This record gives sequence, C-alpha cells and structure tokens, in this order.
Amino acid sequence: MSLEDLILYAVDYARELGASYAEARYHKNNSFSIVSRNGTIIGAGREIKEGIGVRVLVDGALGFSATNRLDNESVKEAVEKAYKLAKVHAGLMKKPIEFDDSRVGRARYSVVEKKPFTSMSLDEKIGMHKELWDIVAKAPSEAKIPVFFLNYIESVEEKIVANSDGAFITSRIPRLTIFYNVVVTTPQKGSIQRFEQLGASGGLENLEEWSLYNTLDNDVKIYEKILYEAKEPPRQEVDVVVGSEVVGLIVHESCGHPSEADRILGREAAQAGMSFIKPGMIGERIGNENATVIDDPTIPGSYGFYLYDDEGVPARPRYLYREGIIYEHLHNRWTAKIYGTQSNAASRAMDYASEPIIRMANTYFKPGDHSFEELVEDIKYGVYIKSYMEWNIDDTRWSQRYVGLEAYLIEKGELKGFVRNPVLEVTTKAFYSKVDAVGKELRFYAGTCGKGEPAQGVPVWFGGPDLRLRNIRLGVAPK
Amino acid sequence: MKEELLETSKKLVDRALSEGYDEAAVLLNHRKTVMVKLANSEPSVIQRWRDLVLNLYLVKDKKILVLALSPTSLDEVNKTIRELIGIADKLYESPFYAPLPEPGKPEKMELVDKKLLEKIEDPSDIVEKLVETAHREKIDYVAGMIELSYAEKALATSKDALFYEDSTSIQTYLRAFAGEDGSGQWSYGSRRLNEKKIEEMASIAARYAVESRNRVSIEPGIYDIIISPMVAGNLLRLVGFMSSAFMVFMGMSMFMNKKPGDRVGSEKLTLIDDALNPELPGSTGFDDEGVSTYSKPIIENGIFKNMLHNSKTAAKMGTKSTGNAGWITPHPWNLVVSRGDYSFDELVGEVKKGILVTNNWYTRLQNYVEGVFSTITRDALFLIENGKITKPIEKIRIADTLPRLLNNIDALGREQYDIWWWEVEIPTRTPYILIRQIRTSKHTV
Repeated sequence: MSLEDLILYAVDYARELGASYAEARYHKNNSFSIVSRNGTIIGAGREIKEGIGVRVLVDGALGFSATNRLDNESVKEAVEKAYKLAKVHAGLMKKPIEFDDSRVGRARYSVVEKKPFTSMSLDEKIGMHKELWDIVAKAPSEAKIPVFFLNYIESVEEKIVANSDGAFITSRIPRLTIFYNVVVTTPQKGSIQRFEQLGASGGLENLEEWSLYNTLDNDVKIYEKILYEAKEPPRQEVDVVVGSEVVGLIVHESCGHPSEADRILGREAAQAGMSFIKPGMIGERIGNENATVIDDPTIPGSYGFYLYDDEGVPARPRYLYREGIIYEHLHNRWTAKIYGTQSNAASRAMDYASEPIIRMANTYFKPGDHSFEELVEDIKYGVYIKSYMEWNIDDTRWSQRYVGLEAYLIEKGELKGFVRNPVLEVTTKAFYSKVDAVGKELRFYAGTCGKGEPAQGVPVWFGGPDLRLRNIRLGVAPK
Repeated sequence: MKEELLETSKKLVDRALSEGYDEAAVLLNHRKTVMVKLANSEPSVIQRWRDLVLNLYLVKDKKILVLALSPTSLDEVNKTIRELIGIADKLYESPFYAPLPEPGKPEKMELVDKKLLEKIEDPSDIVEKLVETAHREKIDYVAGMIELSYAEKALATSKDALFYEDSTSIQTYLRAFAGEDGSGQWSYGSRRLNEKKIEEMASIAARYAVESRNRVSIEPGIYDIIISPMVAGNLLRLVGFMSSAFMVFMGMSMFMNKKPGDRVGSEKLTLIDDALNPELPGSTGFDDEGVSTYSKPIIENGIFKNMLHNSKTAAKMGTKSTGNAGWITPHPWNLVVSRGDYSFDELVGEVKKGILVTNNWYTRLQNYVEGVFSTITRDALFLIENGKITKPIEKIRIADTLPRLLNNIDALGREQYDIWWWEVEIPTRTPYILIRQIRTSKHTV
C-alpha cells in the first residue's frame, strides 16, 4: 500500500469504527547535523523520524495515536487504540469537542532550495566549522575564547495530511539551522556568553544571507569590549531603543502566545499556562496605535513557513494586535468552533508522534517609518538594547523580563559606550502602550518554540524593527 | 519483545562492523505509552504511542557518527548505515573519541509494576479519581496530565555488551484553580502506581489553589525564600545538567572553573545522582555504553564530588566513566536532595521575612558559566513574617545566581517528594528548602 493509500485507509477505517472526525498524517523529519567545538568536529548525526499520527473524535472526546510501523496492521492498531481510548474517556467529557466547518484544501507544495544541500561538499561544510573558529579565536585582542560550539543542521520535513472532511495536502519543506554558543572570558572581568540560533526554510543560500564570517568577528570584538568597558545601566527613568532582536522575542512572548486561542480556553493551563486575554476581549485596547503585530506563515524563505496547516486549512496572515487593539487570535478548528469563527490555520504538529496544536509561524511587529538615526536623535539620555540572553515571562504573558547583552548608552542622540546587562522588566500593556516611534527596517530571528504535552518544538521566526519606548526604569542583572 | 530487541540490536552491531566501522553501539527503545491531558476538569486529548526508536553510535578511524531513527524497516537502517560510511571517511578524528568501554555487570533491576502496565490500556478510572480528588477542595477546575508508560531498552555494543531492561513509569501533575487568582500545582513521578501518592498530589495542588486566593502585591527585594520540591526540582536540574562533563566542555556549566573537591554550596546541601533507586522513573542498571550505573553524590555537604562522565569525557579528563552515558552527553538519571531534619512548620518558623515559593517556570540564564539566572514564580506564593505564613502574594521573579543559591541553603525539610513534570525533566526527590537572602525582582512599569 502506498503512503497515500495508507493514510486514506486510516481515515476511512476510523470513520467505519464510528469516529465523527478522522485525520491521518504521514510525517517524516530527516535531519543531518555536524557538531564542532573550537573548530574540531565532535561528530556528525543523522535523525530520521518517520511515521503516521492518527486523530479521531469519538462521542466528543479527542483521541490521538501514533506508530512508526508503516504497514496495514500497525496503522489499523493505531486507529483502533485512538478510537478506543477516546471512547472510554468520552464519559468524562462535560463539553463535547467539535470542529468548525472551515474550508479545507487539496494541494501539493514544496519549498525549492536555491542552493541544494548537496551543492556544497562535506569537506567544505566541515571546513566552515574550522574557518569560523579561526575567526572567532582571533577576534579578541586580549580575552580568550574557551568555547565556541557550533551545530550545523540540514533538515527536510515531508508531510501528507488527509482528513474525513476531504483535506489532502502534500508538502516538503527543507530548512537550514545553525546554533552556536560562544564564551568570551578574561581573568579580571569574568565572562560573557552569547547563544544564537539562525534558521530559515530553503537551502544553503541562507548561509550567504547570514554572512557569519563577518558578523562573528565583529560580535566577538564587541563582547570583549563589553567585558572591559560596560558600565552599570542608569537608575533613573530613561528612553529606551529596543533593538529588533529583542522586539521579535517580545512580540512572540507577549502577543503571539497570549493570542493562542487554545491557551485562552485553558487547554495549556497546566503546562505553558493561560493568557491575560480572556474570551470576549477581542476589540479591547492593549497598546497605542503604533502597535500592530502580525503572524504570517506564508512568508517565503521563513523558518515557520507553510501554506496549509495540519488540519488542511489554507494559511494566511493573522493580525493579532492591530493599531493597539486585540484583533484576532490564532485558531484551530476546535477553538474556531467555540469562538463561532473559522480556523486561521494555526494547527501544527512537530512530528508524526505529536498531535497538531495551535502554533505561531512568523510573528512580527509591523514596521514604521523611522531610520535608526531618527529613533535615537532626540534622546537626551537613554539606552539601546540590541541583543539579549536571559528572558522570561509569566504564565499569563503579562509580566516579562529581557536582559540585554549588547547594549549602549545614548547621550544627546548618540551612542556613547556600552551598558552592562540592562534589564527591561515590563508588563505587556506597558510595552505596547509606550512605543513612541517605530523603525522601518524589518528583521527576523529564528527560534524553536516550545508548547504542548509532550512538549513540541517547532521552527518559528520572530521579528520587527527597532522601537523607541519613553520613560522606562531599567533594572540591573545580579552578579 | 525482549528477544526480538536483543537480536536486532546485536544484528545491527554486526552489520555496522561488516560495513567497515571499527566500533558500534545500538540502543533500541520500544515504548507503549498512554497520556491523558486534562483541561477544565475534563480530558482535552487522550494520546497513545507505540514506537521503536533506534539509536546508533558508529566509529570509523576515531570519527564519530550518531544516529536516531524511527525506522519503518530494517532495510532502511542498513541503507543508512551504508550511506554514512562515506560521510565518516570525510570527518575528522573526534577530540572526544575514546574506545567503547568493556561492558559492566549491571544489576538486574525490578522496574516493572504489573498494575501500572495493565492501566495503560484504560486509565480512565485513575483520571476520574484525580479530578474527583482535587474537587474535594473548593476549587473551580483543574488542568494537568497523567502518563503511563511501559518502556523496553536493548543495548548491544561491539565490546560485546548485550543488555535488556524493561520498566514502567507514571508521570502526573495537576494545576488547580480557585476564585479570581488562586492556583496551585503539584506533580508526582514513579516507577510504580501508588494511588495514595496520586491522590496526595491532587490534594496538594487543590489546597494551594484555595489558600492562595486574594493575593496582595509586595515589593521586590532581598528575601529568605523557602522553595517547594517543585521549585527545587526545577532549579537543581540545572545543577544536574551542568554537572555533566560535556556541558563543562561546551561552556554551559557553572562548574567550568571548578573541580571535584571545591566547595560549591552550603554544607547542608547533598545532591545525589541516584541511578539505582527503583522507585524513581530515571532508574536504570546500565548506561548507553553498557557501563553499570551506580548512585553517587554530585555535591556532598556542599563539596563538588563528582562530575558526570561517559567514557569519552572521562578519558579527556583523565578519570573513569561514572556510568552516565549518553554517547556524547553524560546526564544524571535521578536527582535526590538529602533530607534535613525540619518539619515544614519548623522551616517556616526559621524565617523572619520571606517568601514561600510553591512553583515556578521559565528559568533562563544570562550566563551559564557564572550561573546568572532568573525564574518567574507561578501558582501559590506566600509571604512569611516572623515565622508564620501571613498572606498569599502576587507573582515575583527570583533573579540571582546559582552559586549564591547553593551557598545560601540554610535548612531542609525532612519529608521528601517525588517530582517529575514539564519543568522538572529529571525525576527529582527533594524536600522543601530554606535559602537565605535571595534577590527578587518585578516589572517596573
């Protein structure tokens, strides 16, 4: 039986057993990685996760089962288990689960690598680790680099999704990911650490885009300077320019996550928590007119790219906050039914063994019209936070903290030296209400967003332009 | 599936050697798992898995390849093994290479609870009991999860290790909500099904939810804090991960500039990697290299005693494996914090002005080497004044350094709890812990 036939069989068989809805997904994640420390290769790895996940609705209970044996018998057993477990728990349901009647698609799409993974030899890929280490090791003038860890990952995600409402979606998305961790240390001034993830869909063309050879040299030189030169952040209220990297993380944490309708409805309450957004809050003000945040799965080349979600619904941009108003949530077909709306295709699963749940894709703060110079020029005294390491946010997505890594003092409209670990600790409403000017350059950053039980990590982009906030009291990180 | 797993793992090792690899290890993990996730006091999804994950460790000319496959057929595995030999040829000798060790003589552990095994097919009565127990308190609703699992692992290595172990485990946690602002969360993890313990877990979550209603705000500052086993499990897991020699090599450890024998915490703190504890769900008789596991202190009376090693990190540091492989990354199996002699009330009685933190999440580090971190509290949080819990308070951050946290431990409870959940990935047995003079912070606007 072909894979297509196997998943259609699973859907049909679940319906035969009595499921009111059935969905089957063939899902293969194939990745190859090369890991190095200080330029020497520790090892290479291959990971292949391949199997079928089945989801059924039975008497208002939702059952999910997965198997990596791709034969009739195993798939049949998976369907039966999902059905039976849903059935025996249906008696515990107070409010039966139903899905909306969103239009689902029948389509086939794939992301084509401009430069396929095979366009560079293994020798060259290995050589890149060594060359980057040489750049990093030579960058500081006095400080040492005890560790430069680099993980290079090529991956391809292939899916076939079918459900009893007629969806049939075949997709193939290749991605390139790089993680690195660099520690810069001096005997007198201690250490500074930077961890970064770079990621995009597509192939090796992304390496050129990232131009790590240039950025790493520059960054490490800056980290050394920070160790020697950075001063304590000002204690009084100051204007703050929040760099696009930090803005990206902020919109992910304090707009994207609280806008997940499943979280609002309590489905993640015991894990990642709930949301300050409650049912009925669409239309309420969360910030000023500068604050528009969009989540868009369809951005070409993005890390969180897709055209149809795992329930077969076509993807589109979602305006989560629009000119300071809570405008639209991220929905799947279950939450859409409860809200009396249509799914906006936010349902994604990490791999065959995971149930599809509501996820962000590529979340960003809508750019404005200021150049960086214009953002800074009328600041008498302030701080520019360009990058971060530590952050966290409470489980309703209201109180959040970001600790700057590369940060500058601003005096009379000019950057004047480094500030050590300034802490931006604000509520969501304060942040979106205090944005007083918005940069025009939109940049994206890659992340692996965690959610669900078992936890699922999925690729996302988050981004925005640089922003200016007025009158913020910054904190100081502990030493 | 014991025989099938052993035979397959052995066959694959032979296959790898015949393809030209110098060394090979094969670890097969087969599991049957059911998980019921709860929200609004009802199941939100019932999930079930049956799968086989095949992990391969291959060495050619001291070059290392690691594979994790969920193979749809053995032919596919053989194909991948063959393909990768071409890659191995081009890699460089790994700086971490050391020959696979001689196999140990692992202790045969009884890790299967038949009662738990049966419940995997239909856990609905336990689910019902969980929800019902929590609702005995005046709560509004609960969310949470219960997972029951049967796992088999088979290991074969080219040094003739051929081992099998099967085990059961339960992980469960509940978060209860009461009124406008009351919430409490607790968890439990074990190899055995113990209905009393599950009920106790549900009761603690519900009680904390009720007691934490009507919170007041406090100013951040320096406080004595009592951390619950949930919080201790979350923070000490970082210490557990950082005690892995690989994390030290990777610049991800506060032990980077420490060596065994150095003081790293208060003399009251003893943290053990308790590999052979038959109740805790991380227990196992052998590691991924076939070395027998054993229990060992990571920190004993405040002194850094053992870095965790596999044979590679051990060779690089001129020591012996501690039976904690991970082929690349050594890791703890279970963490146990030795008990103190305080009752809970006595711990509270020691605090003049402080905070009882019952749960936290989202712990992140600014700098692993220096252990600079913050974490945000969640659920029940109480002010302690003059030796008494006086009122529930609103969320606050703990923002300090791990070295200070470990050094300022002043007293430990005598009752230990077995914690295992989303934010405590390493099963941890720990009491409540009193830590002096810890910094807290809060949003400024």
